[in-house]
Amino acid sequence: MFSFDYETLYTIVRGPLVWVSFIAFLGGIVYKILYLSLKAKKDKIIYTYLNFKCILRSIIHWLCPYGSLSMRRHPWFTFVSFIFHIGIILTPIFFLGHIELWEESWGISWKGFPNFISDILTITTIICGILLLIRRLSLKHVRFLTTSKDYALLLLVIGVFLTGILAHYQVVLDYRYMVVLHMLLGEIMLIVIPFTRLGHMFLFWLTRAHTASEFQGVRHSKDY
Amino acid sequence: MKEFKREIITDIGIDRVLDFLDEKRIKRAIDRVLSKESAARLKAFVQTCVHCGLCSETCHHYLSHDGDPTYAPAAKVKMTIGDILEKDGNVTKEDIKRYARIAFTECNLCRRCTMFCPFGIDIGYLISLVRRICGILGVAPQFIQDQVYSHMSCYNMLWLKQDEWLDTIQWIEDELRYEIKNARIPIGKKDSDILLLIHGLEAKYMTPLLMNMLKIMLVSGVDFTLPDIDGWDYTNKSIYMHDFETMTMVTKRHYEIATKLRVKRIVITE
Repeated sequence: MFSFDYETLYTIVRGPLVWVSFIAFLGGIVYKILYLSLKAKKDKIIYTYLNFKCILRSIIHWLCPYGSLSMRRHPWFTFVSFIFHIGIILTPIFFLGHIELWEESWGISWKGFPNFISDILTITTIICGILLLIRRLSLKHVRFLTTSKDYALLLLVIGVFLTGILAHYQVVLDYRYMVVLHMLLGEIMLIVIPFTRLGHMFLFWLTRAHTASEFQGVRHSKDY
Repeated sequence: MKEFKREIITDIGIDRVLDFLDEKRIKRAIDRVLSKESAARLKAFVQTCVHCGLCSETCHHYLSHDGDPTYAPAAKVKMTIGDILEKDGNVTKEDIKRYARIAFTECNLCRRCTMFCPFGIDIGYLISLVRRICGILGVAPQFIQDQVYSHMSCYNMLWLKQDEWLDTIQWIEDELRYEIKNARIPIGKKDSDILLLIHGLEAKYMTPLLMNMLKIMLVSGVDFTLPDIDGWDYTNKSIYMHDFETMTMVTKRHYEIATKLRVKRIVITE
């Protein structure tokens, strides 16, 4: 029988749910990209004008902090959002505890950040997430755009990091349940990435590619 | 949608046409545009937008309305395409009127927002899809519709008939003879270098402009010709309704004339 004791919960989130989430995450991304690139054939102008040089130039400009005019116009937003994104991408990959888990199950490991760097990254990510939330609530034009889903996704991301650091320092809830909660939230996040707005993680490259080729290749104007 | 407050404006091109429409036809037009004609780009753009609002301050409509959030580019997409997708195409006539208002009068499709969007989301394209839906339904400002229908019937934007065109050129030629001896404006001449296409207004209201241009062309001794049939107007107003069929028809006509007259180049004025 199913029971809510720690052992059962841990076994579930550590075992089958990890598989489910990673398969949903990777499969979802592959499916979305394949689906869109096949559909793009119907739009005759997409593949015709794709230009690798333009795409590269545009992506480099948009990935460098303050590389585009839009970022220079909004210096504080760029600052906060860059730190937020760097934290989200680097912390899960280079946190020692996560590497430990990989080694335990697959026998692979890589060099991680020392714990204090992970802590700093996590805390700044949480702070930046909260700042972004405040921006969403306080600016009239952003609040008009925002749907409940946007709030939910932002809170989910903040939640994953918050439970992570709380579990690490073993405060608030019982440490073991906090870990289970952290893993559960992380898995939910992975599952929803391909199917929600968090999908901008991989759609960024596709939309940027099209717009860069159109603006630079066809119109001969900058898109950054 | 409670923040969307606008003065009520009547336009016979929108209000009168809406009287003839029903929900079924609206749904059919939406399905045609959103599922058959647009595919990957619509899906990718709509799904990628993270509602960050970086596009707002780039829009001159937003700026000139003192930062009214309903004029922000992403908000305009949310209130049109977003609304259609949310309702799965089952929209009412009032909705269509609102979409037409937003798409035709509150966005120029200038794509400045695209340049400032971190993802390069082409908001102009998304709004143009709304224009296309409205265009298919025939719900567009009367002024635009009138010019599109003029293109459909006589390949120019001002209802100028073929005999009126020939007559205009003839009297310009007459006038030019005061200044150039035995002036002769080539019209429908084969094997010349240049096919000169002009703006519709230049033939109807601004003939002195056209006369000056022709004077320069004649004196400079360029081997040119004007078309002797409909299709002399290079404007293509159907782009405002995203009426690709008429757009194709007009452009095709120019190339047909060029092929028929065996010219080397097409030159357009303005």
